[in-house]
Amino acid sequence: MFGTLVDLTLWGANEDQAQQATAAAIHTLNALHHRWHAWEPGPLTDINTRLTRGETVTLEPDQVEVIRGAQELSRQSAYLFNPAIGRLIALWGFHSDDRPSNVPPPAPEVIRQLAARHPTLDDLHFDGNKLSSANPALEMDFGAYVKSYGVDRAIEELRRHGVSNAIVNAGGDLRAIGRRGDRPWRIGIRDPRGAGILASVEIQGDESVFTSGDYERFFEYQGKRYHHIIDPRSGYPPSGAMSATVIYPGSGVGGGASTALMVAGPHGWLDVVRGMHLQQAMLVAADRKIYLTPALAKRLHFEVDPPPTVIIGQP
Amino acid sequence: MMTRADWIAVLLAIALLPGLYVRYWGDSSQAEAVRIAANGQQDITIPLSGNRRFTVHGPLGESVIEIRDGRVRFISSPCRGQQCVHSGWLAHAGDLAACLPNGIMVTVTGRDRRFDSINF
Repeated sequence: MFGTLVDLTLWGANEDQAQQATAAAIHTLNALHHRWHAWEPGPLTDINTRLTRGETVTLEPDQVEVIRGAQELSRQSAYLFNPAIGRLIALWGFHSDDRPSNVPPPAPEVIRQLAARHPTLDDLHFDGNKLSSANPALEMDFGAYVKSYGVDRAIEELRRHGVSNAIVNAGGDLRAIGRRGDRPWRIGIRDPRGAGILASVEIQGDESVFTSGDYERFFEYQGKRYHHIIDPRSGYPPSGAMSATVIYPGSGVGGGASTALMVAGPHGWLDVVRGMHLQQAMLVAADRKIYLTPALAKRLHFEVDPPPTVIIGQP
Repeated sequence: MMTRADWIAVLLAIALLPGLYVRYWGDSSQAEAVRIAANGQQDITIPLSGNRRFTVHGPLGESVIEIRDGRVRFISSPCRGQQCVHSGWLAHAGDLAACLPNGIMVTVTGRDRRFDSINF
């Protein structure tokens, strides 16, 4: 999740202020990492276990906020972003930071059966702060969505300490506020293949940049790549895209939107853009063609030579 | 008529032109240093010159990183996926390889630090 490699960049803050702000933001991210971890034993695994047993669970206000927020996003994405499929993700072996490569993918029949029980967050029932589940196959795994939540809380923490120019980068996904002295922040977006930078964008003010990709966590078995984003409809990793990026002002949809775009691929990505009200989105398809919304095409600068084939999609 | 001083000024301008070219149109992606971020530790930056190997400690154990001929790579890491090792040599500013299980990220930085942060 985001416990690894939190990277904070501050500009124009004095040393004391910077140190206190950084410590507070990292503390916040570490606490959220534990609170929402999908497989290390903790509050979320506890909730999942009890829901599966048919019990009703009393939630804290922040837990209600996160789960309700994810419900809404999941609906907007037509359930392509589906944080209820934790069991499928575990089945694929991705409930581990370090899945070995020589273990085969799960049996097709087992995948099919689990996907056919199609759990969604709509199977959850709230009675005030009491939560119950109507689908025993439901297991919550918020994936990259909690990263957006965490990054937003960390930015709040920095601002509370008087920091107004900063980047919070949690394992590759980031939000930048203010600017770097006399120029905007420069953000490089990694090429999904190779080690280089595909494109860059300048940010000033307050914007988030979130990417999901098939290169982040994956294993290869008999020459085929299986990555950690699972299509809830088929139960398999989707193969239409290598990466998906969203940029949006302020806090918000982050990991949920980039995950949904990866699942949708080049055929369905515009439906996700419309459903989730995204202005700026990029999809790098499996054939390396790049699909862009007009608003992102206007400001994105490609850093590869020759520049890629770009297809502008009208939302 | 041009005086001797004029000639000197013109010759100086021509002589300095390549320097200006390199300064302002040169390849700003030219790699100069390696930034190593390890979870919970202060980042360190090492020049991308000379040949050396060193060890970085992470939650899983020791990752070995090598700098040679202006490039950098993971030689070994205690993770099972080995994505970091398979990334191979990094040579250009902005290039990045990470061992997420062991919480270590290696980024090549250029002369003008082209990017303030990298999204992946």
